Amino acid sequence: MSGDSEAREAVGDYKAGWHDPENATIRFDFGLSEKVVRDISELKQEPEWMTEIRVKAYRHFVERPMPTWGNTEELMEIDFDKVCYFLRSSDETGSSWDDVPDDIRNTFDRLGIPEAEQKWLSGVTAQYESETVYHSIREDLEKQGVIFLDMDSGLKEHEDIVKKYFGSVIPYSDNKFSALNTAVWSGGSFIYVPKGVHVEMPVQAYFRINAKNMGQFERTLIIADEGSSIHYVEGCTAPTYSTDSLHSAVVELLALPGAHIRYTTVQNWSNNVYNLVTKRGVAHENAKIEWVDGNIGSKLTMKYPAVILKGEGAHAEVISVAYAGNGQHQDAGAKVHHMASNTTSNILSKSISKDGGRGSYRGMAKIMPKAENCRLNIVCDALILDEESRQDTYPTMEVGNPTAHCEHEASVSKVGDEQLFYLMSRGHTEAEALGMIVNGFFEPFTRELPMEYAVELNKLMSLEMEGSIG
Amino acid sequence: MDASSQYLSADHPDRADHLWRYTPWKKIHPTGDISDIPSDFSIPEVSLKAIDGSALPPGISLDMGDVHSEGLPDDEKITKSFLEAVTGESKFTLTVAPKFKSEVPMIIEISTSGTFCSAHICLDIGKLAELELVTVVRGTCKWFGMLRTGSTGEGAITSDVVVNKLEHGKLLRVESISIPRNSQFKAGTVSSGSTITKADLRYRMFQPGGNLNVLGSILSAREMSLDHHIEIYHDSPETFSRLDWNSACGGSSRTVGTGMLRVSKGSNGADAAQLFQNLLLSRDAQADSIPELEVSEHDVVGCGHGTASGPVDEDQMFYLASRGFSPNESKSTLIAAFLNSTLSEMGGDKMHGWLVSELDSDLSELGD
Repeated sequence: MSGDSEAREAVGDYKAGWHDPENATIRFDFGLSEKVVRDISELKQEPEWMTEIRVKAYRHFVERPMPTWGNTEELMEIDFDKVCYFLRSSDETGSSWDDVPDDIRNTFDRLGIPEAEQKWLSGVTAQYESETVYHSIREDLEKQGVIFLDMDSGLKEHEDIVKKYFGSVIPYSDNKFSALNTAVWSGGSFIYVPKGVHVEMPVQAYFRINAKNMGQFERTLIIADEGSSIHYVEGCTAPTYSTDSLHSAVVELLALPGAHIRYTTVQNWSNNVYNLVTKRGVAHENAKIEWVDGNIGSKLTMKYPAVILKGEGAHAEVISVAYAGNGQHQDAGAKVHHMASNTTSNILSKSISKDGGRGSYRGMAKIMPKAENCRLNIVCDALILDEESRQDTYPTMEVGNPTAHCEHEASVSKVGDEQLFYLMSRGHTEAEALGMIVNGFFEPFTRELPMEYAVELNKLMSLEMEGSIG
Repeated sequence: MDASSQYLSADHPDRADHLWRYTPWKKIHPTGDISDIPSDFSIPEVSLKAIDGSALPPGISLDMGDVHSEGLPDDEKITKSFLEAVTGESKFTLTVAPKFKSEVPMIIEISTSGTFCSAHICLDIGKLAELELVTVVRGTCKWFGMLRTGSTGEGAITSDVVVNKLEHGKLLRVESISIPRNSQFKAGTVSSGSTITKADLRYRMFQPGGNLNVLGSILSAREMSLDHHIEIYHDSPETFSRLDWNSACGGSSRTVGTGMLRVSKGSNGADAAQLFQNLLLSRDAQADSIPELEVSEHDVVGCGHGTASGPVDEDQMFYLASRGFSPNESKSTLIAAFLNSTLSEMGGDKMHGWLVSELDSDLSELGD
């Protein structure tokens, strides 16, 4: 049996696990060096300041040790010399799907992206390997001054804005993987929403890894100017291989006074992908940032969407779900820093582990001494579906102001026998009943998703539950 | 390998570990030089008596000499090996005979003095014994290290409360207690003394039917830093644990409560919960909580944790004001009630009365 077929068998019903033949126009050799970093920058014809940031970040990445917390065993298995850090599949970004090479277009057709674009999206960016292959935005939004570009084009066309905000929320020195991303970033989205503009329908980015041992390092920067709003949706898949791939993104959000950003992620990476992502937003006065975060796949996910509540009256909302199946560790959570008075935040985390999977909630909530009258509420619920699986919660709460009201609660339990019995007494099989209970458990998350995503996620979870009993 | 060699060969603790996040080892080490094991430790005065001054009943004794620590879980290496190294001859064993029973709580008084002082107290509680025990630490030493190890007998019912009344200085307290079959163990902590406290308390239920209740009433004032880490292990089926930890934090003090609840694979029927509550009483006070859960068994009754932090409730203040209480009286009353909710669970009426009388003066300091 070949390595690929072994892996496919191990992963089972992962629907996005096919891969296309690799037709790269440019492919870097495996491994990371300062030359690779400079070559990426040169290839993209970037300004000098960006090259300098990349090089500084690379040096920081090399010097910085691996995290000593989390799943250190899995982290130590990453071989950075066996990763391809840049692969260009198409020489240009198409503005029509007809401009996209046939094999890549077929991939996105199978993933349903063009269909979704026609039905319910304001704009779409599709990234394949290291760079964007398709990009579009509705004309009326363009006329209102909304900028929605891939990050490379954003740097070329709006260098002043990018220079001002790039790394302002997540500096390269934040952690080892933000340094790696800053050194070799490619692709991602750049969005600017002008004052008072409300983007009614979501914009979507879809990230696809196709090649073996690929590293994808997209960089996303979203700036919502005063009183504006936007909903950004991202999806991620990759083929199933027996060797590992690395996805290490950085996402920076800036919600200026009164703005509202909702960032929805449904990642369904295959089980050979390390998903090590840094996501953080800054909310100014009366602004609101929402992270709606679904983690279904990957080998190891370490992702803790964060909000810094910098302006008075700002609000943060984090809703996350994680499903950890066989061979997976979903180490997800949330961070909220209340820097200003009268700021509020809610964190809701739901996690399921099955077939030996491990789910972890890891969170940090901090009330700074000068932040008066803050409110913070965290709820974590976890279900363990079989005797091989495991759930952990590691919440940290630091309260430095006596006027704050902070609450955290968490529970780990199994599916109740009486719930199963009730549903089975109404004619459902045990697997159907379990699927319904799990979908109900995830309902606070799915109700926040666009309907098409919610339906797909419910189907996905029902499939995952098949064969879980008996 | 002896304890000194064990300590010197152990890796330095990492602050990524929550145990060391807020009070790193260097801060609580007697000299701050973590490669050093000072030799000039004094032995505190240690005595056992009945809490009401009556004669000791038969079946209980406290003896100085070597302690039995074989078979105890090998917990955090740094502090345990350090304390084993520095306790030297300052080792005591509390022996409680099987089926011992006393209406009167017992008290171990530890009186410290000098610069560095340490003691290792081993609990050896017999089967089916019923005991209420207070260990109170007083005195003026600059650094006191207390290691408490031991186990209770099968079917024993024990209330074990440690009261920290050190006048100032640093307290390093490490506990490792094993709870066997059908044994009930209440572990209380009352802390209102010392300037810096680092406590690492570990309880392990290794046989079916173990029942553990961990309670904390923590008063921090002035510039105190009181850091308590509690680990509870469910290593056997049908075990039960509750942790309720109440901290009132005034002045520019800081309290830290970190809890780790581990349910190992095969511990079906485990029922575990922990709750940390913090009352913030002044502008410069800070309270940090990290209640952690690691559950590797799916067939559990339930495992949960919670934490809540906030100021004195304004509605309750208003209610008391409407009944004629001054603002200070109202605040003191509410703080006392908050701390008493855990204090009153630590033992029977006699023990409770004694604990309340010990804490009265400290409570008034917080209420001001």
